[in-house]
Amino acid sequence: MRAIPLFVAAALTFAALPALAKPVVGQPAPDFSVADSSGRTQTLSAYKGKTVVLEWNNPECPFVRKHYGSGNMQKLQAAASAQGVIWLTVNSGASGKQGYLDAKAATAYVAKVGGKESAYLLDADGTVGHLYDAKTTPQMAVVDMQGVLRYLGGIDSIASTDADDIGKATPYVSQALAELAAGKTVSVPTSEPYGCSVKYGS
Amino acid sequence: MRIRPMRMQKYLSLLVRVTAAAAVLVATPAFAMKPRPTDPIDVQLIAEHTELVPGQSQQLALLLRHQPHWHTYWINPGDSGLPTTVEWILPPGYTADEIDWPTPRRFAVGGLYNFGYDGETLLPVSITLPADAAVGSTAHIALVTKWLVCREECIPGKASLAIDLPVVRVAAKPDPRWTAQFSEARLEQPQATAWKRTVRDSGDHFTVTLTGPGLPPASAQLDALPAQRRLFDNKPPTIRRDGDALVIEAGKSEYFTSAPSELDLRVTTTSANGARGWRVRIPFAADATAPAR
Repeated sequence: MRAIPLFVAAALTFAALPALAKPVVGQPAPDFSVADSSGRTQTLSAYKGKTVVLEWNNPECPFVRKHYGSGNMQKLQAAASAQGVIWLTVNSGASGKQGYLDAKAATAYVAKVGGKESAYLLDADGTVGHLYDAKTTPQMAVVDMQGVLRYLGGIDSIASTDADDIGKATPYVSQALAELAAGKTVSVPTSEPYGCSVKYGS
Repeated sequence: MRIRPMRMQKYLSLLVRVTAAAAVLVATPAFAMKPRPTDPIDVQLIAEHTELVPGQSQQLALLLRHQPHWHTYWINPGDSGLPTTVEWILPPGYTADEIDWPTPRRFAVGGLYNFGYDGETLLPVSITLPADAAVGSTAHIALVTKWLVCREECIPGKASLAIDLPVVRVAAKPDPRWTAQFSEARLEQPQATAWKRTVRDSGDHFTVTLTGPGLPPASAQLDALPAQRRLFDNKPPTIRRDGDALVIEAGKSEYFTSAPSELDLRVTTTSANGARGWRVRIPFAADATAPAR
């Protein structure tokens, strides 16, 4: 422990508060309320009793295009939905940055790519992104029926923009969902996410 | 040569093909073509010498020329991005080492951090010829390289490059076109050190302590970047002098699970002349690892 004068320590504690709110696998997932592309408010805690997947999205990012262009993301979304899992796609890109979508553009994007998510969340001020410390698109989180964060990290194990790698990669998200559905412990609870930086505002 | 088509916008795909074509043609000076100034990066395969010698190791390199504000990535790209990769296609018996990664720079965008290169950078690779390589023959040295070039947005790129070099008995001549680039590349290589060094897992951060001759002063230009991912949290570390020692405190990655046998660290400084640095490999003590948060 470093010796820090009291008043400095107090200032540091205050400054460190947002960092303390970092998501921790095995702990309750941070709750949020944010508007989706249809104008409804989406609140994580309202889904208690259901498993929830969060997916960070930027339609222009080549890593995101890898998973949508190949149909992999839509397939994961449809499979999750068939099991009663809620899938929330989150766009934390700030207005004016690459990949930012307003409600109308988001609705058009989901229709164009054939997205099968439960809702597309508009997080232009980055609140939800910062709550989960989302760094890349795509980045994934899985929350269990009790509201506990069970997975945080990449969509799969091979960091690339090449769709040919999808079949060779370990699919961390579908693996975590299958393990949770079987009442098992999630065998890979974190991985380093890969992709483009989330385009936060200042 | 195996080349997979990439799914990209028409414009981007065309752009990469033009860049790749330009780079291939560079090996044939008579048809050398200037890359278009709008390409975010120009990639060429160059050789330090105009000839190769049997049994010797010689330097080749990818010459990366980034447009202003664009960058590519180090072996540890940081919070996002992808390292540049090279897949060699060599004559029988020839071998290629890994990329001798130059000292990387830190890039900050929107509270996230990346490590890589901008401006003009060489990624050098040593190629070794077999002792029985036929003198008088021409070696066709080819590769497929993939990169991700980013400003705030990112564009993946891929190129097939090749160079033909005659094999001679002795004394390969330096190629005067690239002498300055290879000299600069040597300065950009991280230097070995004889510093005493320890690393400790302090719970939410790592503490690296260095002592010994030639330590740089703690300054705003000093940085410390790990070559491995999932160790540091990629934010700028705290670096201070404690008596004779340089003490580096770096936040732990939230994706950290367990420590590798050693930390492969670059201590770097950045000036107008570019990035300079030292390579420090520090064993993790067997009991020095606290459990993951």
